[in-house]
Amino acid sequence: MSALRRIIHDVRSVELGAVTRYEQHQLVVGRDQVQALFAEPALASVRVHTAVPGDRVRIIAPLDVVEPRSKGPGGGVFPGWIAPVNRKRGGDTHVLRGAAVLAAGQLPRNQEGLIDMSGPAAERSPFGRTHNVVIEFDRADDASWQEAEVALRRGLLRLAVHLADAAVDAAPDAIEELAPPHRAGTPTGGLPRVGVITNLQTQGAFKDVFVYGRSMAGGLPTLFDPAEIEDGAVVSGQYGHPALRNPTYLHQNHPVIAELRARDGQDLGFAGVVLCPEPVQQADKELVSTHAAWLCRAAGFDAAIVTKEGAGNADNDLMLKVDALEADGLTAVALYAELSGADGTGPPLVAGPRRGAVVSTGNYDQRVKLPAVERAFGGTRLRIADAEAIAAVEVPTAAILCALSPLGAGRLTCRSEQQLGGVA
Amino acid sequence: MRIVHYVNQFYAGLGGEEAAGIGPRVLDGTVGPGRLLAQLLGEAHQIVATIVCGDDYAASTAAAAPELLGMAQAAGAELLVAGPAFGSGRYGLACARLVAAAHAAGLPALAAMHPDNPGITDAGAAPVVAAGATSRQMRPTLQNVAAAIAKLATGATLTVADGRVARIARVGRLVEQRAAARAVELVLRRLAGERELTEVPIGGFDAVAPAAPVDKATSATIALVTEAAVVPAGNPDRLESARATRWLRYPIEGVDSLDSGVWESVDGGFATTAANADPNRVLPLDAARTLERRGTIGRLHNEFLVTVGNGTQVATARRFGVEWAAELRKAGVQAAILTAT
Repeated sequence: MSALRRIIHDVRSVELGAVTRYEQHQLVVGRDQVQALFAEPALASVRVHTAVPGDRVRIIAPLDVVEPRSKGPGGGVFPGWIAPVNRKRGGDTHVLRGAAVLAAGQLPRNQEGLIDMSGPAAERSPFGRTHNVVIEFDRADDASWQEAEVALRRGLLRLAVHLADAAVDAAPDAIEELAPPHRAGTPTGGLPRVGVITNLQTQGAFKDVFVYGRSMAGGLPTLFDPAEIEDGAVVSGQYGHPALRNPTYLHQNHPVIAELRARDGQDLGFAGVVLCPEPVQQADKELVSTHAAWLCRAAGFDAAIVTKEGAGNADNDLMLKVDALEADGLTAVALYAELSGADGTGPPLVAGPRRGAVVSTGNYDQRVKLPAVERAFGGTRLRIADAEAIAAVEVPTAAILCALSPLGAGRLTCRSEQQLGGVA
Repeated sequence: MRIVHYVNQFYAGLGGEEAAGIGPRVLDGTVGPGRLLAQLLGEAHQIVATIVCGDDYAASTAAAAPELLGMAQAAGAELLVAGPAFGSGRYGLACARLVAAAHAAGLPALAAMHPDNPGITDAGAAPVVAAGATSRQMRPTLQNVAAAIAKLATGATLTVADGRVARIARVGRLVEQRAAARAVELVLRRLAGERELTEVPIGGFDAVAPAAPVDKATSATIALVTEAAVVPAGNPDRLESARATRWLRYPIEGVDSLDSGVWESVDGGFATTAANADPNRVLPLDAARTLERRGTIGRLHNEFLVTVGNGTQVATARRFGVEWAAELRKAGVQAAILTAT
C-alpha cells in the first residue's frame, strides 16, 4: 500500500469573484469557471453561493459534499470518475482544509435534511463549520433524474479539483505524512493491531456508494489502500437518512482512519481498512460479515472498529460483523446511532450484537430547536417541518446532515438518566 | 382510605382466554389477589370494590379505561390500584391506561407490572411499581404494592426506593471527543481487559416463543397483517411513512386482489416501485384468496391491520403487537400472516 503526503492549505474565507484564486487562506471562486465545470446536457442551469460559519444561512436538502483536493497538473484524484484508475498511487495531495463544495436541492429518494451555518444545527454537523461553496441546480427537461444526479456528481468532483488546483503553488500551512498500514506479520513493537471495517450502502439508484466509480453491490469485502480513500476512490451517491449519511468528504477525511493514525505507534498499530457492501438479503449479509471477519484475521487485525451507512438494514450488517469478529477472537466496537424516541425512553438499538461493544453517535429521534435564519439555499420550504425554509423550526436530530455520523465525525453521544414518571 | 382494585377476567375468576372479551363490570369487595392485598394493607385501608374487564376488550377498546374509571369513582374510590399484571401484555396495557386516566383525573393511582411489560409506557406520569415476571411472585409483589399504597395514601411521591419503575431515558449530549476517537479509546480499553465496557447497553432483545401450530388450517380463520404501509391509493388516512405512532385497519371483504393504482405502499424505508406495481407482493391477498377457495384455509379474516415499520420505535411496535393480538383474538382469528419489509 502507498505512502501519501497531504499538503495542507487552510481556508479561512471564501467568496465569489471573476477568476478562481487562492492566496493568504482566502479562496475566491470564479463564477464563470463554475458554470463551465457544470456544463452538462442533463443540467439546465446551476447557481453558485457561499455559506460560511457564523452566517445565518440554512442549506435545505443537501446532497453530496466534497473536500477540494488536487494532485497537481497531472490529476489523479477521484479515480474512476475524473482520473484513471491505473495511475501512480500515493505521492502529494493538496488539500483545501476548511473548505467544502456541495450540491443542494430536491432529488428522488433524497431524504430531506439541512445544514445551518450557525446555532445548534451548526454544532451538530461537520458542514456547519466548513467554508462551503453551494451549488443549486435545475435538471434539463429531457434528462432523467439519474442522469442529472450523475452530471451533478461529475460537476462537484471537477469543482473540488479546480478549487484545490488554485493552491498547488501556495506555501503550505502543514505537510502531513501518511504511512501505509502495518502489513500482517510485520512487528508493531507489541502494540495491538487495530483496523476499520467500513460498510458502504448498496441499494441501487440514489442509494449507492462508488468505489473507483463502481458499485460494490453483489461483491465481497476487500482490503483497501487508505491512501486511495484519501484520493477520492470512494465517492458517495447515497441520499438516505441525512444524519446517517456518509458524504464523499467524510470518506476523504475518514474519522476512524484519522483517529487510528493519530495513535499509530503510540498505543496501537494501524492495521488497515476493509470496505464492505451492505447487501439487503440475509444470506448475503451473513456471507459478507463472515468474509469480512476472515479478511481481518488474514490481514493480521487484533481488533476492528465497524462503521455503517443508513439504519435498520444497515444495523443488521453492523451487528452480524461485530458478532462474526468476536466469534473469531477479534475485539470489535461498532458505531451506532440510537433510536430511543424523542424522550429517549425507548430501547436504543433495533438490532445489536450479542457481544462486543457499541459507541453511540447520538439519538436519531431527539428533537432540536433551530432559530430562524436570514437566507436559505436548496429550496424555499423545509418539507419535513412544513415550514418556510428560513423559519424557526424543531426537527429530529435525524434531519441534520451527518449529525449522527456513522463514521464517527460527530460529538454527540447519549447517556442513561433515571426519570420518574412520564414525559408530558 | 377507600381503595378500588382493578384485575382482569382471569384474576377475577371469570375465566381464561374464552372470557377475555367481556366488558367492564364491578364486583363488591375483594376478589382474587385483592384478598391477600387487603390482608397486607391491614385496618387503615379498605378495598371497597373490584373492577374487572376482559383483556381483549380492554386492550382493543379505547373507551374501556374511562368507563372503568367512572365505575371506580362511582364506588367512592379515594385511591386506585391496578394489577399486578406481571409480564402479561394486554393486562399490563389495561392497567397502565387505567392508572394514567385516574392520574389525569386527579385520583391517586398506581399500577404493578414487570418492568419489561410492553404496556408500561402507557402509564404516562402515573407511578408503576415493579412486579415479578410471573404470578409465582404474587406475595412479594403484593407486599411491595401494599407498602407503596400506604405511602401514596399519605400524599407522598413514590420513588425508586419504593419499587417504583424508573424510566431510563437515553439523553443526547455533545461531548469533547468525536465518536471515532471514543471508538478507538473503547477498543484499546477492551483489548486491555475491560471486556464489558460499552457506551450503549447491548443485548436484552426479546425472543418470542412461537405459538403452537394451528390445529386444523382447513377450519381456521387467518388474518393478514403487515408493517409494509399498504393503504388505499392516495393514503386517505395519512399513515406515516416512517416513525409510526399508529396503525390502521382496512376491510377486504369481497376483494380478491390488491390492484395497482387502487392500493399502494407509502413505506419510506424501501423503494416502493415493485411493491406498487403489484401490492399483493407485500400483502399477499391474491394468494390467500386462492388458498381460501381451495379450502386449504378455512376463511380469510375480513380486514387487514397495517402500520409502517420504518424507523418505528421498538416500544411503540410492541404496543401495536399487544393491540393487534387483542383485536384478532376478539374477532375469532386463529392465525395471522405478518409481512415485513
